[in-house]
Amino acid sequence: MKNEDNDDCRLMAEILAGKKSAMKMLVERYKKRAYFLALGMVGSSDEAYDISQEAFIKVFKAAGSFDRNQRFFPWFYSIIINLCKDSLHRREKHESREVNIDDNTFLLVDARNPETILIKEEEAACVRNAIMKLDPDDREIIMLKHFRDISYEEIAVLLKIPKGTVMSRLYYARKKLAKLLNEIR
Amino acid sequence: MKSGDDKYRIMLSGYIDGELTDEEKEEIERHLKSCAECRTELEAFQKLKEVTGAMKYADIPEYVWENYWSGIYRRFERGFGWILLSIGVMILLAFAGYCLVRDFFLNSNEPLLLKFAVGAGGLGLIVLLVSTVRERLFAYTRDRYKEIQR
Repeated sequence: MKNEDNDDCRLMAEILAGKKSAMKMLVERYKKRAYFLALGMVGSSDEAYDISQEAFIKVFKAAGSFDRNQRFFPWFYSIIINLCKDSLHRREKHESREVNIDDNTFLLVDARNPETILIKEEEAACVRNAIMKLDPDDREIIMLKHFRDISYEEIAVLLKIPKGTVMSRLYYARKKLAKLLNEIR
Repeated sequence: MKSGDDKYRIMLSGYIDGELTDEEKEEIERHLKSCAECRTELEAFQKLKEVTGAMKYADIPEYVWENYWSGIYRRFERGFGWILLSIGVMILLAFAGYCLVRDFFLNSNEPLLLKFAVGAGGLGLIVLLVSTVRERLFAYTRDRYKEIQR
């Protein structure tokens, strides 16, 4: 395990012992990662904010069940993704999908990126719409690779699948995304 | 191999992400020279990567991040508070019920009519409470608009 993972395990032990400063430290370390993962899945900033906070509360409540021989982040990741999928499922069930999604704001053209000139706002809008039309599992793997730039090895750990499956799932998700983009354009 | 071979198509993902071994890379490059379909698909994926690479998730204002921890702690604290309050109320209600049965219903000096009135009133209160809670739960689980911010 890396230093960061060892630190996480130490923090989890301190959280279990009721140390508030350890809770705060863990939150500071992972709050942005948690928020952006949730945002990528649900496409709504308010919902992503709530989900990420709820995920931390779940971590504090379940600190006793965390296996300190394992890495913290994959465990935390599965908590976030499950909350996101629950939320998407509820949204689907209540047919209030359009109400919650910040279609025009959750993904932006990166002004700091020199490649930005290649992409226009209409193109960005097509990408946003196409991504939100993907199934949650496809959206998840696209988010991890395209927007978080995580290696196949790490994606395999997070999704608990073999590295070869990451490649095939990514292929099919990209194929669907490219098809959706063509339909939207 | 046929141009539609799934193995090469799937390898296209690994190729554009730089996740193939040198041998696999040579293999797919050889295949691409002879397969127009895979070349078209590769171009589509590269374009996709280019477009998404120029995008990022929208951040939230710094002051919202500054209040993030206090928001979590408040929620955590309140959740804990509600659990303690619920436990306390349940114990108090159980004790009150026990006292009521011991000192009132089992007391032979109390008139039977009064016992019946208190018993019926108490039972009615429980029925009303259960019915209201059930109705609220039913409405909540079927409210299509509950997630809309008012």
